[in-house]
This record gives sequence, structure tokens and C-alpha cells, in this order.
Amino acid sequence: MTASWASLVGQTQSVATLQRAVADARLVPPGTAMTHAWLIIGPPGAGRSTAALLFAAALQCDGQGCGECSSCNEVFHDSHPDVVRFNPQQLQITVDEARGLIGRASLSPDRGHWTVMIVEDADRLNEVSGNMLLKAIEEPTAHTVWLLCAPSTEDVLPTIRSRCRVLQLRTPPWRDVARLLEADGIDPSMAAFASRAAQGHVGRARALAVDEDARLRRQEVLRIPMRLTSLPACFAAASDIVATANEDAASFTGPLDSNEHDELLRAYGEGATGQGITKTRIERLAKGAVRELEAHQKSRRTRAVRDRLDRVLIDLITFYRDVLVLQVGSDVDLVNEELRPSLDRVAAESAPESTRRRLDAISRTRRLLQSNASPQLLVEALTVELARG
Amino acid sequence: MKFRVERDQLADAVAWAARTLPTRSNQPLLSGLLIEAQDGGLVLSSFDHEVSGRVETEAVVDEVGRVLVPGRLLSDIARALPAQPVTVVVDGSRVTVNCGRSTFTLPTMSVDDYPTLPQMPTSAGVVAGPSFASAVAQVAVAASSDETISFLTGIRLEMTGPVITLAATDRYRLAVRELPWVPESQSIDAAALVPARVLADTAKTLAAQESVTIALAGSGQDEGLLGIHGGGRSTTTRLLGGEFPKYRTLLPAESNTVASVDTAALVEAVKRVSLVAERNTPVRLHFTGDEVSLTAGGGDDAQAVESLDATVDGEAIDIAFNPRFLLDGLSVLEAPVVRFAFTVSNKPAVLAGAAERGADPSPEFRYLLMPVRVG
Repeated sequence: MTASWASLVGQTQSVATLQRAVADARLVPPGTAMTHAWLIIGPPGAGRSTAALLFAAALQCDGQGCGECSSCNEVFHDSHPDVVRFNPQQLQITVDEARGLIGRASLSPDRGHWTVMIVEDADRLNEVSGNMLLKAIEEPTAHTVWLLCAPSTEDVLPTIRSRCRVLQLRTPPWRDVARLLEADGIDPSMAAFASRAAQGHVGRARALAVDEDARLRRQEVLRIPMRLTSLPACFAAASDIVATANEDAASFTGPLDSNEHDELLRAYGEGATGQGITKTRIERLAKGAVRELEAHQKSRRTRAVRDRLDRVLIDLITFYRDVLVLQVGSDVDLVNEELRPSLDRVAAESAPESTRRRLDAISRTRRLLQSNASPQLLVEALTVELARG
Repeated sequence: MKFRVERDQLADAVAWAARTLPTRSNQPLLSGLLIEAQDGGLVLSSFDHEVSGRVETEAVVDEVGRVLVPGRLLSDIARALPAQPVTVVVDGSRVTVNCGRSTFTLPTMSVDDYPTLPQMPTSAGVVAGPSFASAVAQVAVAASSDETISFLTGIRLEMTGPVITLAATDRYRLAVRELPWVPESQSIDAAALVPARVLADTAKTLAAQESVTIALAGSGQDEGLLGIHGGGRSTTTRLLGGEFPKYRTLLPAESNTVASVDTAALVEAVKRVSLVAERNTPVRLHFTGDEVSLTAGGGDDAQAVESLDATVDGEAIDIAFNPRFLLDGLSVLEAPVVRFAFTVSNKPAVLAGAAERGADPSPEFRYLLMPVRVG
């Protein structure tokens, strides 16, 4: 990723706030623009993690967050000793995980600047693990700063929220996202299409712009509303959605999984030769580390599938949103201009009330997907509801 | 890189450096041992971003170089080698280890991506290895293992003039040990909060060294690094942040009752009676006249009673303790006789060692123990 403030699209105000904080953090004692606990909120794709990483890099950098020195690079590659990036792989942050974070936060920084604790998805802190962190967040040691990320302040425990300074990221306007993509050398019409389709999600826009498969998968998804003509068709569509999400997730995690596994075994000596050295012996030496890695990979797979299903649902929302726009005769831009014939047909065949019900059903499914419900059953229930209207 | 080294020296050095290798999976490189062959010898290092270990050993170096090898495997191999000189040669991306008629080859990892070890800070002073190891072991039992109150998982080192004071507490007991040392400057007045596990482990491995250097970087308050080295072995550890309790005021100045008991006999007796003590139930001690009686259990449950000879000076007292915490204190006393000082039964007792019953307590080590309130 590019390590510069410019990659935070459309967040001029937040960038200014963070830059002031970085400047004040250098004063002895630190000025008031800096504080020890931040809650970075904004919709998915707006750049919460990017903001946290840029801030962390700038705090550790000997310059102002140059993005080029070895310290900045280490932050962006998750190898800086004083930047802890916690990305919960489970639906809730556990007590043990919280305990680990507290222990880590109490260590003095290796290089003498700051110990930066980044907690992504701080909305996954539950009552118990959240309360455990309260003291650490409220009164960290003098060189520790917490950066918690969450979609909105309402998603975070009130006790945590009240101990943090809130940094609000907004949904970046699609034109700003398009400009960012163009700056990376992407064709303007492709940049415009991808940014509109991604609805302010910068990472998603980039993927759509550069990855033909991602565009094809999206096209398939947007054909689903037209396919739901009978009950069997609903079940077929649902199983297609889940299968695609699984495959898509596997194509992302699969290579990562095997690379990590190979690298780990090599680090424990796979390929060594000599008397008594066998593969079994190396595997025994690496056992603890491999077990930890596999647990991590399993949660990552589960999460990757959920993330992809959520993306499908967001794409479906844009479809019915366009239908509603046509039904009420609004003259705002369509997200899926290229599907106008299908949109016109659905708009003519159904009432705005029915479109509203469909949109509600999708939103409800998105919420339920964050619980432990079976994705297959949820998506089946959704396609049936969408067909009924 | 190419060098020759004695088998025992290699095995010792590798075993020591491999001791702190992390088992975490997210940074595989850190499971490697860094071997540096320099003019005059070898340096082996391990590092997990918190604790670093570095050991020097003699070797005949034919060609200097650096290489990162799988740490645990090398440690296994070094231990299994026959007692003959070992030749190590790097050939491309592999290391060959030759010893007698055994040959092993190991893959290597990218040495350029391995993190730089922290610099050893400047020396603050020197202690004797054996007494440092025993002092650290004495206080480490009282440190907390609960990471949510992280500052209690540390041992506080206070370096004031010619004395180092070590203290640790988990809020139920407090262990304090004073130790003479030779500071670089007689006017030194510094303190550091060091992770107890790391300090205990390091001190133990240096117990055979005549002199151990303690080095401190930064103010020691919320920042900085502690270095410990002796006999060619160096460890650095990051310090813990947070305010350690002001423990000196907790040690009572006066006492109403003083009692001495044979340490070994008391340990045995506490172990026996606490067999019937359910989890978290206390052992009661009743000191009177010339004996102490121990009671555990009771009511509808099993009960155990035992009495021992004691020298009691002052009012009789009935007091109850968590048996594990009491045993922890007794086990690190390192004295034939334990001397208890009590005020009242709901205030902490102070344990100290003495040469014989009725003798004055030795002032170096004190173990403050909170009583358990009973019905």
C-alpha cells in the first residue's frame, strides 16, 4: 500500500487533526492536540485502518511520517516492534486477547517513541473484555497510545467511547475515489465505474478497477434479482452466492495459508539433513507454532467468507436502491447505470413499498451475518424474501 | 562463513541462546538463532522484540560471516553431537555442521530481515552472580502472574548507593530483598520495573558467574531497557510501565508478638494440614506459650491439627493464611528458622529468616503476608 496521507481520500479534516496530533506528540510534554486514546470511526472502506497505520507511522517516524524510511515501512508491513496491530479474527474479542493487549501495552517502547496499540473492530469488544481494557485505555503508561477502530460510536461500549477522542471519517465521495484510482494510472471511465459501484469503499473500488474476476462476480450478483422466478430458483441462487463467497474467500486465503505454513516450517528447519533428522522431527519442533498458525488461519477463513457475503449483499442493496430511485422518479445518478434495462423492468413490475421491504430484508441479513447464524440458511431466507417482494 | 568450535562450548552457547526463542507463529524469522563468526570467536543471538539474548564463545574462525538458522533444531543437534570438534561451514543458503562422522545440513533464513538487537546500555554496577540469583528467586515468588495488572508482574529494582533493593507484590504478599553491590557511582539513585519471569530466568542462568553487570538505559521510569551480562552472556529486556506501589510504608514498624519456628518443620506441617484445606481455604495458626498449633478444615469437612515447638514472645495470637502463599514465603527464606512479627490478627505479618529460635532476624529479606479473615 502507499504510505501517504493522500491515500486517505476525502478526509482533509481528519488528516489535519492527525497531523496536528503528530506535531504535538513531539513536544515535551506532548501538546493538547495529542492524546492517549483515539476512536477512529467511519463506514467500511473509508480508511479506518489506513488512518490508524498512517498515524502510527507518523508517530514513530523521525520525520513527519515520510512514508519512505525503514520505520514507516516496518509499520506498514506489521513488523515495527512498537506498533501492535490487533485484528480480531473472531466475532468477539476474548478476555485472553484483551489480557494480552494490556500486557503488551505496558511495555516501554523499544525505540523510545511510542507504543502504539491499534485495535481494529473495537466494536467486537464485549462487556467483559471491554471493561478489562478500561483502565489500560484511560491511564496508559506515558508512552502508550491506543487507536481503536469501529464503524460508529454507537457500536462501541459507552465506557470505552467516553475514554477516547473521536476521529470521524466520512464516506469518501465517489469522484474523490475515482481521482485516486486515476492517479494510480487507471483508465478514467473504469475509475468512474469502479468508484460508483464501490460506493465509497476505497479498497473495493480498487479491486473492481483492476480485477476482471471481481467485476464478473459482481455482474453475476446483480443478475440475481432477475433470476428469482420460482422457489427452486431462489435456492439455486442462494447456493450460488454462498459457493462463490467460499471460492472467492479460498482463492484469497488458500495461497496465504500455504505460504505461511511453508515459511513457518522452513524457519523450524524443514529441508535439513543429517542423522535422525526427519520431517516428523521438524514437525514436532514446530508443533506449537503450527497449531497457533492453523487456529489463526481458520478464523481468517471464516471471516473472509463473511466479508465476501457482506459484499454481495451490499451489491444487491445498490441494485434495489437504483430500482427505488427509478420508482420514485428521482433524478440522482444510478449506481448501476449499465443495468438500466433490468432496473427499469423491476421498477415497473413492483411497487416502491415492495422495494423498501426488499432493502430491509437485505439489511437485516447483513446484521444477522455478524452473528453465528449459518450463512447458507440466512441467504436462502433472503432470496425467498426477495422473490416475494 | 567457516569456523571450528569445541562441542561442549557450542552446545552450551546454543542451549542458552535458544532458551528465549519465541514460539509465536506470526514472525517465523524470530524462531531463528543468529550466528555471527568474527575474528576471535562466535556470537549467538536471539530476540523476540522484548527480550534479547546474546552469548559469546571461543572458536577458530577461518572465514567471518553472519547466518540465521532454525534455532530449536540447531539446539537439538548441538546437544546430540559426539564430544569432538565441530566444523560449521556456510555454503550458499545452507549450513553444514560436521562433527566426527556426523554431518548435518540446515537451511538458513534471510539474515537481512532479522531485527537489530538493542544495544547493551551502559553499566550501572556489578553484583555477585550467586547472591543476585538467590535474591531474585526470593522476590519473584511474590510477583503476580495476572497480566491485566501488568505492573504487578514485575520486580522493582531500586539502585540506591551501595544497595540494590528488589521488591515484588501481587497485593496478597510482598517480598523485599536488599543486596549489596558495587555501583559505578556511589550517588546512583535509579529504579526500574523488570518483567519478573525474564529477570528470574536470566538471574538463574548467571548464578555461577562471579560478577554480573546490571545496565540501565533511559530513566527507568516508564521507558528504557535493562541489560544484564556476565561470563559472555548478555540479556536485555524492555521495562514495564506503571507505578509500583509505595511498599515501604506497608512494612509495619512495630509488633506485639514475635514468634520463631523451625522453617523445615513448619513447611512439612503446613503441607500436611493443608491436605484437608479446600481450594482457597486458609490454614489457621495459633501461637501461644511455647508452641504453635496449625488447623485446617473443620465443620462438616475433614479437619487436621498439628502442633510444633515455637518461641513466642508477646501476646498469644490466632491468625490465618492462604497455605500456598505461606509456603511460598517459607520456601524462599533460606534460613533454618522463620521469625514471624505480628501486630494483630487482621493485619499483615512479616516473615524473616533467623539463625536460631529467639535470635535476631536477618535484615536482608522480608516477606509481608496478608492474613485471611476467618469467622
